Amino acid sequence: MPQNETIRDLQLDEYKYNFVTDAEPVYRARKGLSEEVVREISAYKEEPEWMLDSRLKALQVYESKPMPTWGGDLSELDAVLDEIYFYVRPQDRMEHSWEDVPEEIKDTFEKLGIPEAERKVLAGVGAQYESEMVYHSLREEWEKQGVIFDSIEDGLKNHPDLFREYFGTIIPTQDNKFAAMNAAVWSGGSFVYIPPGVHLDTPLQAYFRVNQERMGQFERTLIICDEGASAHYIEGCTAPVYSTESFHSGVIEIVVKKNARFRYTTIQNWSNNMYNLVTQRAVVHEGANMEWLDGNLGSKLTMKYPSCYLVGEGAHGEILSIAYSGDGQHQDTGGKVVHVAPHTTSSIISKSISKGHGRSTYRGLCKVHKGAHHARSNVECDALLINDTSRTDTYPYIEIEEDDANVGHEASVSRIGEEQLFYLTSRGISEEEAMAMIVRGFIEPIAKELPLEYAVELNRLIELEMEGSVG
Amino acid sequence: MTDSLFSKGVTEALNFSAVERLCITEPDWLRERREHAWALYEQTPMPTTKLEEWRYTDLRKQLQLDTLSLSQATVVSDDPTAWPKRLRKAMKEDRQASGHIVVIDGHVVHSDLEAELIAKGVILSSLHDAIEQHPSLVENWLATEAVPPEEGKFAALNAALWSDGIFLYVPADVQLNTPIRVTRWLSEAGVAQFGRVLILAENASRISYVDEILSDDFSKQTFASNAVEIIAKERAQVQYVSVQRLGRGAFYQSVQRTLAYRDASLDTLNVALGASVSRVDLNACLLGERANSDMLGLYFGDDDQHFDFNTSQDHISPDTASDLLYKGALDAASRAVFRGIIRVKPTAQRTDAYQTNRNLLLSGNARADSLPNLEIEADDVKCSHGATVGELDPEAKFYLMSRGLSRIQAERLVVLGFLGEVLSKLPLGGVVEKVTRVIEEKLSQH
Repeated sequence: MPQNETIRDLQLDEYKYNFVTDAEPVYRARKGLSEEVVREISAYKEEPEWMLDSRLKALQVYESKPMPTWGGDLSELDAVLDEIYFYVRPQDRMEHSWEDVPEEIKDTFEKLGIPEAERKVLAGVGAQYESEMVYHSLREEWEKQGVIFDSIEDGLKNHPDLFREYFGTIIPTQDNKFAAMNAAVWSGGSFVYIPPGVHLDTPLQAYFRVNQERMGQFERTLIICDEGASAHYIEGCTAPVYSTESFHSGVIEIVVKKNARFRYTTIQNWSNNMYNLVTQRAVVHEGANMEWLDGNLGSKLTMKYPSCYLVGEGAHGEILSIAYSGDGQHQDTGGKVVHVAPHTTSSIISKSISKGHGRSTYRGLCKVHKGAHHARSNVECDALLINDTSRTDTYPYIEIEEDDANVGHEASVSRIGEEQLFYLTSRGISEEEAMAMIVRGFIEPIAKELPLEYAVELNRLIELEMEGSVG
Repeated sequence: MTDSLFSKGVTEALNFSAVERLCITEPDWLRERREHAWALYEQTPMPTTKLEEWRYTDLRKQLQLDTLSLSQATVVSDDPTAWPKRLRKAMKEDRQASGHIVVIDGHVVHSDLEAELIAKGVILSSLHDAIEQHPSLVENWLATEAVPPEEGKFAALNAALWSDGIFLYVPADVQLNTPIRVTRWLSEAGVAQFGRVLILAENASRISYVDEILSDDFSKQTFASNAVEIIAKERAQVQYVSVQRLGRGAFYQSVQRTLAYRDASLDTLNVALGASVSRVDLNACLLGERANSDMLGLYFGDDDQHFDFNTSQDHISPDTASDLLYKGALDAASRAVFRGIIRVKPTAQRTDAYQTNRNLLLSGNARADSLPNLEIEADDVKCSHGATVGELDPEAKFYLMSRGLSRIQAERLVVLGFLGEVLSKLPLGGVVEKVTRVIEEKLSQH
């Protein structure tokens, strides 16, 4: 397909994703969270005993932990949680070929551009429609190499030992209230294993979509990138706009073994009534490299701080974060790097744009434990304010217990300069287009790291969002 | 002490009857103020590490409130030969001054001011004298606008139990050419000592104020509390310097707020060298248009010293500017916490606000935590912050050693150069030399 056609197919506009299809869920648990719901989910998934026990224990942890009082405003969340369904399953079995996928769901994917992605032979496509993987394909040669790219449920069924060895070890249930909630009711997500020395040159992609009003989505992803392997995983999600609050709480666990390289890219564009509270963490071993590329454009409130625990000598962690907050939105995002081993290095680059009454918050941690000598870390945060009603905050935590370490943090806040605007408009560019150009330039260092389709989406989105910002 | 008692902070020495005893000779308005402050103190729970501002300083472990008694010291005479030798030495190092105050164990034992300034209406006295002689001035400003008891647990405790303090008033258009120098000495171990400073600079006045607190080491924990209120009216220029050189065993706690009105410039320098635990809360309020504050800080830790700085820069009016630079070196098992926040209100367009914290770790057991925060609600601003924690620059060290300096000499020079940046920004006579000398002493033990 010619490139410009691809771009057109993937163009985002405000209405394209604001659709609802009539897929009738086969099974739906009752509203709210209880031991009964947890037991039902586990029974429905025909899980082994240990998983049910783990879920029930997690539920107790969830109930014992208080609602966080930091970050975004969660005061209305309890009421929201009483009203949501903690599990929705659209159909009974997994589909492995496109023809078997029901028409209505296909229709949704059509609008999301998945068939195009398929035609382009994008790696394996796992699309999450409501709570579960319904469509999965994996390039044949990878299967031969032993790569596993399954739904998380199939991961548990087909690779029980590998699954049990790592599940919940990177992000333990006790880590935080929402990680505990996820551990109790998780459903859907990916299970990925890259065997030693295997290099995937096309990314693994999973599309996410929430389509049921007041439905919570609790995806759980576990990725093991074995020694010397390398891969890139891309997750993007959109959701239709509803008037009632919605809730999403994912847990992403990643192990990057010795000398392996892994990149996890996620762009979320949830509708503006979504609470998006996600825990993402990678443990990075000796000589390994982990990169998080995190884009937060949608949701009502996002609290998400991808983290790298650098536990092996020479490990490297990188977090690139971009946030956009418009009216009624609060992006409370950032990153954490924890240096545990010597000669570890890390970098966090964060860019945020706040428009209208939007609020962008950078919250980050850089910790160097005793013994992590020769650790190096650099954090840069830049915030752009579009209107005089916009707000930005920066809350970095720097904790250093080792003298032989170098850590730096820098942040700046600015607005679109009058001179910049004047220069561009004097060249015959409209003020709106000039604003969009300046914003695009501001995010360029991160946008250029994105796969082409995503960079295009992002630029298109910025253009849409800049419309009407002049005045 | 049980948890609930610790949380209230009421002990055998620190209680309501201690407040009542202080009130006996004081006017009614002050009694009411002290009683109100004490009630607030009892109502406010002791800060725990669950509070963001106290995350890294655990009072439960570091403050033994129940062991503290109130000062019993009597007033020492105004004869310098009766004063401690180190106090006299510290004063001798100071250069020229417009006036002096000497405080020993909470009592103002000496004060002097140039006759010419007295004639112009400048007031430099103990707070108690000021309450008698200038009641309305003190009543308006003492623990009202700047550090009211509502500020927090320690501000309330201080407002209830302060024993004496310093009052400095500079009338409009009066400009002092040399600093006011205050020297405080603490000798009693195991006591809680509460002092206050109130500085009021009227329109277009100019002053510098240098406050040094020192002591020998204490055999048991000694609590030195300080509340500093500085008001710079329109076009006034104020420089405030605090040098803390308390001995080991001291828990130093200081709450400071500066209020800068239109076109005022109000600069502060906090030097922390002594005490076992030192906690400084500093809030700079840019109240009036074009007000400006430079905020400097310097610390050098050794042994197991613990420094905690909690700063805030509040921009309320348009065209205001603030610039903060806190630098510290940490040796042995010492530890520093810097938590700073720039808040720009929607009304403060065209604000310039900067914040920098730099730490040098000289030992594998030292620790530095830095939290430079921003909360920006106006769009036409220039704000940035930076924080670094690092080791001695090996290249600078190597360069000096290649010029024939020993490793230790080279390290000292690099550290002095690193910290010297702060002093060079507020080069008050005597302060630079004194602080440099104390740091050199500390470095010689490195």
